[in-house]
Amino acid sequence: MSQAEEGMVTDARQWEPHILTFCCNWCSYAGADGAGVARMQYPPNARVIRVMCTGRINPLFIVKGFLSGADMVMVLGCHFGDCHYLKGNYTCDMRMTYLKAYLQAIGINPDRLYWDQISASEGIKFTETMHKIVAKAKALGPIANDVGAHAKGVHADGSQQGTAAFDVQANDVQDGSTDAVTPDIF
Amino acid sequence: MYYGRATDQTIQKRGECGGVITAVLIAALEHKLIDGALVVKRGESIYDGAPFFATTREELIEAAGSLHCAPTLSAKWIKNNLSGARDMRIAVTCKPCDARAIIELSKRNQINLDNVYMVGVNCGGTMRPEPAREMFRQFYEIDPDDVVKEEIAKGKLIVVTKDGQHKELSIDTLEAEGYGRRTNCQRCEYNIPRMADLACGNWGVIGDDAGQATFIEVRTEKGQKLLDAATSSRAVTLTDAPPEGIALREKLDAIMVKMARKAMATQFAQFDGEHKFERLFAQLDKCNGCRDCIDVCPICSCVECFTNQELVVPKDTLPPDPMFHLTRLMHVSPSCVNCGQCEDVCPVEIPLATITHMVQSSVQETLGYVPGQSTTDAIPLSKIAEVKA
Repeated sequence: MSQAEEGMVTDARQWEPHILTFCCNWCSYAGADGAGVARMQYPPNARVIRVMCTGRINPLFIVKGFLSGADMVMVLGCHFGDCHYLKGNYTCDMRMTYLKAYLQAIGINPDRLYWDQISASEGIKFTETMHKIVAKAKALGPIANDVGAHAKGVHADGSQQGTAAFDVQANDVQDGSTDAVTPDIF
Repeated sequence: MYYGRATDQTIQKRGECGGVITAVLIAALEHKLIDGALVVKRGESIYDGAPFFATTREELIEAAGSLHCAPTLSAKWIKNNLSGARDMRIAVTCKPCDARAIIELSKRNQINLDNVYMVGVNCGGTMRPEPAREMFRQFYEIDPDDVVKEEIAKGKLIVVTKDGQHKELSIDTLEAEGYGRRTNCQRCEYNIPRMADLACGNWGVIGDDAGQATFIEVRTEKGQKLLDAATSSRAVTLTDAPPEGIALREKLDAIMVKMARKAMATQFAQFDGEHKFERLFAQLDKCNGCRDCIDVCPICSCVECFTNQELVVPKDTLPPDPMFHLTRLMHVSPSCVNCGQCEDVCPVEIPLATITHMVQSSVQETLGYVPGQSTTDAIPLSKIAEVKA
């Protein structure tokens, strides 16, 4: 059994969090790539979507992510001042601040959204973040705890996972690397 | 701050409290400050009122007086029917929610605020026509068609019938029974339209003037211009408001704000706590996807609605995908002025205004933005607030 298959949910009784991750093309995606190239080990729970800039992320993508069965959404962008488009990450920061308040208001735990900055050279930070976030997601439990039956592919009691809209087949993920998978949303 | 009354006897008689607003609008029309005035005109009965664009003195006199059972909103009407006042100058009589909605629309470049004179009127709340009729029948035991005047004062809803009969009941009692003011009006903290150019109303008028004069507060240069036009042609006489009157007005406002905060706490409580999302959607899933809430909302002003995209909200499903409501809430809530139009038009009676207002008051703290209060504050997320080093 490959590493990827072990990480994927094969047993319905054993719940593994799905973490939808948005990576900026210029910094964080390169950072994740660096982690893969250096063969650093990290949990395979993330589904990475590469965007050209975190400023391109509509907060509604994240809301839709939660409704599509993501237990946590992670947005990774450049450090302030490093944005390829000068101020995209400031825009993102502003939106994430609002989005957290919004999630709180509609009854989704704002801790399910994580926004951080990882540069192209920070492969180590990427793996550390991934470990940290998976632990956090496990502590928070399935998204169904918050949105009930409105999350796709999740039973109200959170018992069955693995059919989330953006879920991928085990062989789509090669050796736990972060090859972007195109999910069934947007 | 002044007490004002119209000099023209007909106007004084037709107007609610001295006819100042009608006189000011007529003077503005005669001084060519405006091309017309958007007012609310009474239809068949006191339960029937509609926005009406008056361009002559006679039309304005006809529309004088106030209606409490006709909850209209003029902001979107200006955008849709008067091309956002882009090429005409208008005056508009507005409740605080009208004024706030107009300001919000102007920030979205939908209304040219330079061409709009906002004549604000105090508002203690409005009632929906049908429940109001039922309330008069049930609690006041009178024929709703006999009612000629209704007024909210000192926590009481006072009704005057054709034969001169006065009946009053406490608003609290009526609202506990589910009648009285619309729920969004119960939660409204903005009773004096301080964001408008002129803030008029009967609060704070004491002594012999009570009920005969209107309290006028000039808020902007444009407001001063309107009032100057009216005084220069002697259409309105002004006297300085006594300090006791000003104090009383503040006191009334404070009482109303306190009542509103209490209503907010009780009405929001139905969604608070565990499983908030599911409790919200227990209501929102009643939706039949008619999109009327989008049509009437003064904040919704996009040409192409985000929710029209198949990828966001899949078509032909009922109830609509949760993304429909979540998109609407996200786009509207930072600027929601709690006008209650969405709740009024909803055919399946979802408490939309309550939900949107709840989200608004909850994100307000983070955004630090009070909708419709100032014409200079940038709308949230429209510009980067601070650039961190």
